[in-house]
Amino acid sequence: MTELPSSPPKDLEHVFYPKSIAVLGTNRVVGTVPHDIFVNILRDNFQGIVYPVSPKERFVSGVRAYKYIIDIPDPVDLAILVFPSTVCNLALEQCGQKGVKSAVIISAGFREIGGIGLQREAEIKAIAQKHNISFIGPNCLGVINTDPLSHLNASFARKMPQEGDIAFLSQSGALCTAVLDYARAKHIGFSKFVSFGNKANISEIDLMYYLKDDPKTKVILLYLEEISDGDALMKAAHDITTESGKPILVLKSGRTSEGAAAAASHTGSLAGSDEVCDAALRQAGMIRCTTIEEMFNNAIALSYQPLPRGKRVAIVTNAGGPGVLATDATVKQHLTMAKFSEETLSIYRKTLPATANIKNPVDVIGDARADRYKVALGGALQDPGVDGVFVILTPQSMTDIENIAEEVCDTISKYDKPVYASFMGETDVAVGINILQRRNIPHYILPESMARAFASALFFKQYRDQTPEHIAQFTDVDDATVRRLLDDARIAGRTYLPETESTKILASYGIPVLPSGLAMSKQEAIALAARIGYPVVMKVVSDEIVHKFDVKGVMLGIRSDNEAGEAYDAIHRNVKAAKPDAAIKGILVEKMVEHGEEVILGVKRDSSFGPVIMFGLGGIFVEVFKDVSFRVAPVGPRSASEMIKEIRAYSMLAGARGKKARDIRSVEEFIQRLSVLALTHPEIKELDINPLIVNDEGSGCFIADARIML
Amino acid sequence: MEKSEIKARVEKVIAIVLKVDPSEITPTANFAFDLGADSMQSLELIAAFEEEFDIEMDEQKAREVQTVEAAVDFIAGYLK
Repeated sequence: MTELPSSPPKDLEHVFYPKSIAVLGTNRVVGTVPHDIFVNILRDNFQGIVYPVSPKERFVSGVRAYKYIIDIPDPVDLAILVFPSTVCNLALEQCGQKGVKSAVIISAGFREIGGIGLQREAEIKAIAQKHNISFIGPNCLGVINTDPLSHLNASFARKMPQEGDIAFLSQSGALCTAVLDYARAKHIGFSKFVSFGNKANISEIDLMYYLKDDPKTKVILLYLEEISDGDALMKAAHDITTESGKPILVLKSGRTSEGAAAAASHTGSLAGSDEVCDAALRQAGMIRCTTIEEMFNNAIALSYQPLPRGKRVAIVTNAGGPGVLATDATVKQHLTMAKFSEETLSIYRKTLPATANIKNPVDVIGDARADRYKVALGGALQDPGVDGVFVILTPQSMTDIENIAEEVCDTISKYDKPVYASFMGETDVAVGINILQRRNIPHYILPESMARAFASALFFKQYRDQTPEHIAQFTDVDDATVRRLLDDARIAGRTYLPETESTKILASYGIPVLPSGLAMSKQEAIALAARIGYPVVMKVVSDEIVHKFDVKGVMLGIRSDNEAGEAYDAIHRNVKAAKPDAAIKGILVEKMVEHGEEVILGVKRDSSFGPVIMFGLGGIFVEVFKDVSFRVAPVGPRSASEMIKEIRAYSMLAGARGKKARDIRSVEEFIQRLSVLALTHPEIKELDINPLIVNDEGSGCFIADARIML
Repeated sequence: MEKSEIKARVEKVIAIVLKVDPSEITPTANFAFDLGADSMQSLELIAAFEEEFDIEMDEQKAREVQTVEAAVDFIAGYLK
């Protein structure tokens, strides 16, 4: 990730731990935001002084009010602005005069309404800069800090959440209140809770860095509607994950692939904004969630339990069917069912009934009570071949749910391995679920959610523990040639570089091109084909034709002089019929490789994340199969290797069904070379190498076709 | 109508609608920031001015008026 220019440090300590607060624009009208925010701070026992500032009230909730903040005789650490947006500039200016360094601007009516709102936001940003004020908002719900040292509810949420070690940062205020309500029902607590609204000054990145060093926060949840600086987000996530070991879970709305349809290249078409976002978040170690429920399912696993050391899961159940469901869910998440040691099996044989299934999943049978769960769970946890345990319970007439829940909690406290539970049902199991939730055992209604949470925790553990990736430098690249070709195209006003020029650029970056030549006549085509050696491919070259197959401008498998002459004529005929206005620059005659796997390599410049590299199964059906993977540049050797392994067709490259393995190492290298090219030459907007022919192991790869869009 | 009369009648309306002491109604006083008008009271003020001066104001433009002296000038524009 690139180094970012450092912005002035934001004063977040006074946002979360102020000694004194002024609420500017409060009133005495119960049920309004200006009133309720002040009262929430008072009622929720803020550990400091709070001053109401109101133009016409003498007091609010029994506390003496000041007309202006500058009238307050004592210093003020934090200003909460609840004035109408039209006068927030005046209020913030007075905050500056008072020497306030931190603010939360709750008021709406800024950038989010467009027009005059944009001017208002620009004005408050300028005032904040003049007085060196850090502020959250505008257009937000506010800030909550459950730490008893502060106990601040500077928000208009109905109730203060309980203390916990999960921090929640949200771009949407309305979502915050829903999340608080959801979390309360599940006994989930928070360390910090921030609605950051328009992020005109303090951004999610600033907040994330603050939380990195916050001893009260163990897990960071992030709800985003837009990613304004993808590079900064990735860097922050990487820093936090690797330096402080705190996982970041992201719920990013807007999963549509807008803009992809208009793309000219295969890569542009496949690399929609959401696909890129998915890849970028994962690349930076973030766990992307698709729903609030999934986000909290993962969050409680990461917050309450130790991280799994590996993917071997044991399942303890009192019912066969749910055990099978949990097994399916486990395997689907690429986890494995643990194989018990002989010692564990021996314990089970001695202590469980003969009818119990002592293999994984361990079925303690429907009449199991707490003692049997204790034995089964303890046995699994002490087994060195087990990395985590799923406890499943269905309520049967003899099932003592309460005792089993207590026993599960007691047993797992003796081991440093994660245990998740699924007490299946609703009414009868409620008492057990309540115990599990209160004692911080992650509970899931569905085994699928449980397995997904385990897989997320394992992903985080593996990301956190991996060694830093070294980004390769290539000294053999010819940037001068690339520069010249790109400049020529730019000066000529061209935005598309046909195959002949694109392959020259790629060859300058050490990506080999098949022997070829440009024929301007039928005789030249025949002579070229004979010199290159049959079989050959012939293709039209034209600035106006991006997809040559669509105009029947490609002839494959030409094996003789006669066929070469016929192909030359046929291409001219086909192109004239399909695109009469296209100027034909010539016919490219190229060596045809018959034994190789066709893959695609591509580049697309994403508006949030910058250059993105794509790899996948190539050929003309690439958009049909969509078997591709993405990484944001720069791409190092490990990431390149992962990109290749991620596609479904990987086994074809690795040597499936008796076929020889292909030269995957060359592909890894070319992915990295392409990444450097994309970073060095930002004018390349889209690039396709399709296909790249991958030969047998040790025999390299060749570009068979390529195009570049500027 | 003389500007001084408009000013006096504007101040009277403000004192009634916003329930503020007349001494606080200075020419540069901002309706929201200095006199505590919320969004509902701002609309009430516009309606009260229209009734007081028997005029019909452009509501969008009237909402942009923020101070007492600006209100006097704005209303005077309708009374020419």
